[in-house]
Amino acid sequence: MFPLHRFRIEDESMRPTLEPGDYVLVNRWAYRVRPPRRGDLVVVRDPELSDRFLVKRVSETQASTQIHLEGDNAAVSRDSRAFGAVPLDRIVGKVWLRLKP
Amino acid sequence: MSLLYSLARALDRFSPAPVAYAHCDIPCGIYDPHHAQMAAHTVVRMIDLINQLEKPGPNATPEQRQEYNAKLARYVFVKEQHAEIAKAEVRILWGDYFKPDHLKTFPDLHDLVWKALKSGSKARQEINLQAAEDLLKATNDIASIYWKTKGLETITVKAPYPTERQTVYPKFR
Repeated sequence: MFPLHRFRIEDESMRPTLEPGDYVLVNRWAYRVRPPRRGDLVVVRDPELSDRFLVKRVSETQASTQIHLEGDNAAVSRDSRAFGAVPLDRIVGKVWLRLKP
Repeated sequence: MSLLYSLARALDRFSPAPVAYAHCDIPCGIYDPHHAQMAAHTVVRMIDLINQLEKPGPNATPEQRQEYNAKLARYVFVKEQHAEIAKAEVRILWGDYFKPDHLKTFPDLHDLVWKALKSGSKARQEINLQAAEDLLKATNDIASIYWKTKGLETITVKAPYPTERQTVYPKFR
């Protein structure tokens, strides 16, 4: 399996880091080497809607079993402040590259 | 347009990229302090007009009195209406837009909102220019905080309205 996956960004909770229409390349193997760290940009399966992917920033790591996520545009972001901690197995991978127009 | 971006977009034709949502809360996220500022300017303007209105003297005709009463009634009506609009707009920003995170950066936000609401009520109840000026200042200060949370600097300029009072605008890049 190829480790890099591309995703297209929609919605505004990661502005100005990511704008709607940007692409990201996600490394699915990043966390085989080390655990997620605070500040990482990650793509996760939405804890509230399992067939949807979210892109957020890791705001906190807890006991290496779960992470807290927050949007950079905190004022509008729906994230761990609403849905709580996210188990590590929900993580798809770490954003490795941001592609902007 | 960067090469990799063009490549990613071209790839979409063959196999569309899945979407990663930078998901927002349901509230529409469309807020603007301008409504509150405009309403506050209107309150100031109405009080200016009321103060400029010539009171009918002892020898005024019934028609002159009637005209005075009609003008005064209109100014008072619009003053009260717009004081209420300013208060409602401030409440929307405060209740729906501002989050605890913002308070960390702008700890006097609650106090400003309180000042806006109190002076708004006073400007509604009385013909009180100072209360209207206080309301305008509070809405300008709230606007300044709002635009800072959007990452924008603000400028304070003389408003292009007959009030000629100061108003805060964002400096769009």
